[in-house]
Amino acid sequence: MGKQIDLLQGTLDMLILKAVSLGPLHGYGVLLRIQQISGEQLEIQQGSLYPALYRLEHQGWIASEWGESDNNRKAKFYSLTAAGRRQLHSETEKWNRMASLIASILRTTPEQI
Amino acid sequence: MNLLTRFLSWLKWMVKGQRLESEMETEVRFHIDSRAADLVRKGLSQQEAMRQARIEFGGIESHKDAVRASVGVRWWGELGSDMRHGWRLLRKNPGFAAVAILTLALGVGANTAIFSIVNAVLLRPLPFRDSDRLVRIYFNEPGVGLRDIPFSKPEMDDLQTRAGVFEDVTPIFEGSENMTGAKQPERLEAVNGSFSYFSMLGVTPQLGRLFGPQDFVPGFASTAVISDGLWRRAYGADPNVVGRTLMLDTDPFTIIGVLPRGFRHPGPTVSGDVDVFGAGGLSGDPFPPPIRGNRVLGSGIGRLKAGLTLAQAQARLTAMAADLRHDFPTDYPPQAQWTVEIQPLQETLVGNVRPMLLVLLGAVILIVFIVSLNIANLLLARASGRQQEMAVRLALGASRGRMVRQMLTESMLLSLIGGAAGILTAVGTLGFILRFVPSNVPRLNEVRIDWVVLAFALLISILTGLVFGLAPALHSAKVALSAAIREGGRGSGYSTATGRLRDVLIVSELAFAVILMAGAGLLLRTLRDLLQENPGFHPTQVVTANTWLGVPNNPKTDPYLSIPGMANFDREVLRRMKAIPGVEIAAITSSLPTTNSNPDAVGGLRIERFAIEDRPVESSQDLRAERIRISPDYFKVLQATLIRGRSFTEGDEDGKQPVAIVDESTARKFWPTHDPLGRQVRFGRDPAKPWTTVVGIIKDIKSDGLDIDGVPHIYVSTYQDPSKQVNVVLRTSLPAPQLEPQIRREIQSIDPGLPVFNVASMDDILDRSLSSRRFSADLVGGFAGLAVLLASIGIYGLLAYMVSQRSREIGIRMALGAGRGGVLKLFLQKGLVLAGLGIVAGMVVSASTASLMGSLLYGVRPHDPAVFVIVPVLLFAVAVLASYLPARRATKVDPMIALREA
Repeated sequence: MGKQIDLLQGTLDMLILKAVSLGPLHGYGVLLRIQQISGEQLEIQQGSLYPALYRLEHQGWIASEWGESDNNRKAKFYSLTAAGRRQLHSETEKWNRMASLIASILRTTPEQI
Repeated sequence: MNLLTRFLSWLKWMVKGQRLESEMETEVRFHIDSRAADLVRKGLSQQEAMRQARIEFGGIESHKDAVRASVGVRWWGELGSDMRHGWRLLRKNPGFAAVAILTLALGVGANTAIFSIVNAVLLRPLPFRDSDRLVRIYFNEPGVGLRDIPFSKPEMDDLQTRAGVFEDVTPIFEGSENMTGAKQPERLEAVNGSFSYFSMLGVTPQLGRLFGPQDFVPGFASTAVISDGLWRRAYGADPNVVGRTLMLDTDPFTIIGVLPRGFRHPGPTVSGDVDVFGAGGLSGDPFPPPIRGNRVLGSGIGRLKAGLTLAQAQARLTAMAADLRHDFPTDYPPQAQWTVEIQPLQETLVGNVRPMLLVLLGAVILIVFIVSLNIANLLLARASGRQQEMAVRLALGASRGRMVRQMLTESMLLSLIGGAAGILTAVGTLGFILRFVPSNVPRLNEVRIDWVVLAFALLISILTGLVFGLAPALHSAKVALSAAIREGGRGSGYSTATGRLRDVLIVSELAFAVILMAGAGLLLRTLRDLLQENPGFHPTQVVTANTWLGVPNNPKTDPYLSIPGMANFDREVLRRMKAIPGVEIAAITSSLPTTNSNPDAVGGLRIERFAIEDRPVESSQDLRAERIRISPDYFKVLQATLIRGRSFTEGDEDGKQPVAIVDESTARKFWPTHDPLGRQVRFGRDPAKPWTTVVGIIKDIKSDGLDIDGVPHIYVSTYQDPSKQVNVVLRTSLPAPQLEPQIRREIQSIDPGLPVFNVASMDDILDRSLSSRRFSADLVGGFAGLAVLLASIGIYGLLAYMVSQRSREIGIRMALGAGRGGVLKLFLQKGLVLAGLGIVAGMVVSASTASLMGSLLYGVRPHDPAVFVIVPVLLFAVAVLASYLPARRATKVDPMIALREA
């Protein structure tokens, strides 16, 4: 396992939305999916997933449904709602704009000023 | 949309709080189990895997808490646990809880009760349709200092048609009627208005109909509307009462309707609630010809047109009065400045009790403040004891805001319990309390605990909770962590921060107590002065009884129409009264002393215009006096002092030279430089009437009330100028109840149709005339006493607490050689400095607000030196005692024990 990156403040919600946008997942599944797509590089305190999940559901961006897991246990599955899809879209755009802006600032050389 | 989603989600979890918990539990367990299973697959032992999974997950409880917060239910959960915690604390300390809740219940209960009266009397609109448009109409002549003078039919027509501001206007004749036909004749309070009186108010009957245009006839209509009270009392609530005949002053009336239960006549009355209503046509017999100068209408009520403000209406009426003065200069002499004024009807009904009610409300609000300051002190002492608990909570990561909230929740719990107890007390005792409220307070029948009162009680409870909760809450949030744990660990001393806060509380408590005491002192002094006031006569061993001779609408049926007719009746009554065994002297008067405390009331007192022989009638002087008709022995019965001249004799009768007696202040007012004896006066404006000669001067008699001065009185002989109102006054050693049957029998053997009412001793009458003052003085006095008690408990508690907290320090001081005197001084000084500060602050506030009470005082200035000396001295003495007891306990501290315990 290489050196892990701490999650940036406020980005967990976006990552969760992205994870469940690929298909319904239970809480532990969300964790696995994020770790998988990040190439195991993100450090997430596992318990903090749940306040975020409940908050997103509270805001109507994800919906939950009780179902059965692979190992035949009762688990709560989260899926993206239409509102959640719009939210993910706008978050993504915002993130991209911000990222490119920050990147261009950091690229600045003394000659450019 | 988003807000709605969130609200629905919040509601879901609020309702299914238990499900949230179990769902979280299931999810967390699933997560940890799944993680552990994965870890086992990576090669860890089952036990090690579970441990690792738990560590990776982090603090389960804090995550759950974050979940609760994220769906918005954490706050409620915490509130619930804070409440439970607070409840447990109260249960653990029942003494404190009982004291706090009892004093709060008292404070909130008193507030609720008084406010329910204030609300019903002062705040709630009169129970009539659009009652804000109802006004009382006054005719004044400010140029000669006359207010509320009678008016004439043409003047009323002007209001109706020319002024253009009224939808409707009705005159009001208040008076007495004798109801006959039942077993006993009864004197009823009656009002005659115009036929539109009820429609103007917007009243609907519970039976039959009210007056309409068909009752608009010359003279008086032969129809009557009766009150709910009379319907129940005299007719046993007979549903077929409509159509029955009612005999009033020997005239037959047909009952056409019964008023609803809560209806009260919103205008002047002679005394008490109106039971029978009639409609007058204002022209035809017995009304005089409708000439501008024939001013026989007593008072008027009107309804303003919609959309007109009071000021606009007043401006138009003032303009109309100016036009009329210009058009009819002979009827409106310029120097009199005749004018028309309107006042909201509600104001005229309740205006005179407003100061008293507001002072009472102020007193109960002060009491509840003192109560809450006292509780704040207790809580603060407790908070100091809980410093350790707070410090531990802080150390474990509770936020300071969270702790303030917890303390406030505890105080709110206490204040709401106390408030609920107070409201229950008020609801339970309101009927009892109302029995002590003087009956001159109008609208008492409307007093009830409604939503407005409940809201006020809740507000007071919450405010008190804030007052007594905020100080300890903020204090606990300021706990210095290390210090608190250290102090708490070692049985602390008296920390300066808490100390200062408690000092402020005590000082303000004392200041409030001073304000209440000063108010009570002023009211009690007023009452004492009035009780000691020389009324100008000797009321003990005097019994009075009233009768009313009736005014039939048809003069031909009036047996007492002529002067000799009434004089003969008076003589016969006196003859029979004197024959009753035990009666020494008997007399008759048209006006009993102190039975009407409102000199402006047209019904009770007849303040009339008169002329003096050598002065022009319309001079700028207020030639107005109350004419009292008396029989020769009246002053003898009252043991009033004749200063000069003579009393009336049996010879002062019709056909002889009319004679009058004036009292000293009347003599001074109208004949400041002359001797009034032998001067002549004449009531009314009829120049054909003979002049009346002043034959005597009597010492002033407080005829209009012990607290009313300045109404001039002219006594005339009842044989020459009799009244339909006959009040018998007897000097006797027998009590009133024993004489009542005999008085009734004797009067009714002259005329079986006459009612005999209000048989009472003169002492009782004087007493009753002060009932309103006594009520407010007793109440405020009681509150002041309570305030002193609470304030002294406050001082005592503070010092006792200080002594117990500093016993170790005292022990050291004494071990080092401090004398008992020094220790005593240390604590005594503390108490007295606080008391002094509080008293000074209270005196400053009292002195600057006392004048607000001016209208409730009589014979005492708002800055009465005695009150402002006695109050601080008394309170200081109490403070000395309250400080001395704990200070002395400090001197009893045994250094050995104190040091060892610490």
